[in-house]
Amino acid sequence: MSRLAIKPLINRSPEHIWVWPVSAMCLVLGVMLRLAWVTDQSRTSRFALLAPQIQARVGSGSLDLQEEAKNLEAEVQHVRAENTKMEASLSTQTGSTKVLNEQLQEAKVFAGLTEVEGPGLLVTLRDSAKAPQAFVQEQIIHDGDVLRVVNELWNAGAEAIAVNGHRVVTDTSVRCVGSTILVNNTPVASPVEIRALGDASTMQGALNLPAGVLAEIRSIDPSMVQLSPVKAMRLPAFSGNTGHHLLKVPAPSK
Amino acid sequence: MYLIPVIALLIGVAIGTLWAGPLTGVYGQYMAMACLAGLDTICGGVRSGLEGKFHQDIFITGFFSNIIIAFGLAWLGDKIFADLFLVGALVLGWRIFNNLSLIRRYLLTRAKDAMERRRLKGLAAQAESAQTVGGLGQADTTA
Repeated sequence: MSRLAIKPLINRSPEHIWVWPVSAMCLVLGVMLRLAWVTDQSRTSRFALLAPQIQARVGSGSLDLQEEAKNLEAEVQHVRAENTKMEASLSTQTGSTKVLNEQLQEAKVFAGLTEVEGPGLLVTLRDSAKAPQAFVQEQIIHDGDVLRVVNELWNAGAEAIAVNGHRVVTDTSVRCVGSTILVNNTPVASPVEIRALGDASTMQGALNLPAGVLAEIRSIDPSMVQLSPVKAMRLPAFSGNTGHHLLKVPAPSK
Repeated sequence: MYLIPVIALLIGVAIGTLWAGPLTGVYGQYMAMACLAGLDTICGGVRSGLEGKFHQDIFITGFFSNIIIAFGLAWLGDKIFADLFLVGALVLGWRIFNNLSLIRRYLLTRAKDAMERRRLKGLAAQAESAQTVGGLGQADTTA
């Protein structure tokens, strides 16, 4: 009678012996699931390992992430502009700080950490609109095409370059993951607009050299490339990370 | 009773959150595979428990060895460029489906049995009461 009245919470009848071991392993599985779960921290590093069709399926969910990245970039630019302003106001104090600040601003311009404006050339590379032919791979703009054009533009005296609004700086990378081109690790879609600040006619000449960087693309479809000189353009500041982990500046040797 | 494993799972997730963040890169992929193996073993354990064939030693060794094998196979596949990852996901997914459908069938049968038993009990009670009422009636008429 009393056995029935106080019904134990845990039924220890042989019918239920499996509950506790299963619960213990569920605990372990919970930890493992947490380790395997895709979060903002692990998304990028794991996304690159997936097959293209899976990337297309799970990539739609990361649109919010791109939005967030954009916001962060805007924030970085804002803070850097503020910093520049503060440095400039510091320089009004004394002559020596003024000189120091001038040098600092010059270094920042060279490093691509400030907005810049001036005349230049706009190079637009787009995927071919023609019907797919035998070598459809050649009708698409690849990371290599962008890299070669950027390299040629530097060589032709470009003073600052931005690819689809991403400033090209010392640690800029251009590569592809699946079917997407990444500039500074940010996805970029066709048409790829490369803005180079500098002498437009020189740069145009360099790009149009026979057997030059654009010759191959033009042989597939001339409309994949478009060059247009621009009287005044404004390039954004580099908005990526400028931190470093390993490098140290050595003390000057006497 | 059946909620205890679910609660344990949630506690595990909480511990994972406190103790370590998500794995990045390729080890996250291997761990995803190990998770499938763990889930498969747990489904198998529940199934054998419901069937009354549960053995604790087999279950626990099976859990850990399956995890290690899944993790190791995914790793090996990447080392030798064979897509063992896909094969593992396929086989484990198939087994999870299988186990879950057997669990569902078992629970369904049990629920039906219980309903049937209750119905028969009700009928029996009805018959009994009818008999006693009938008996009384008979007694009245004879009196």
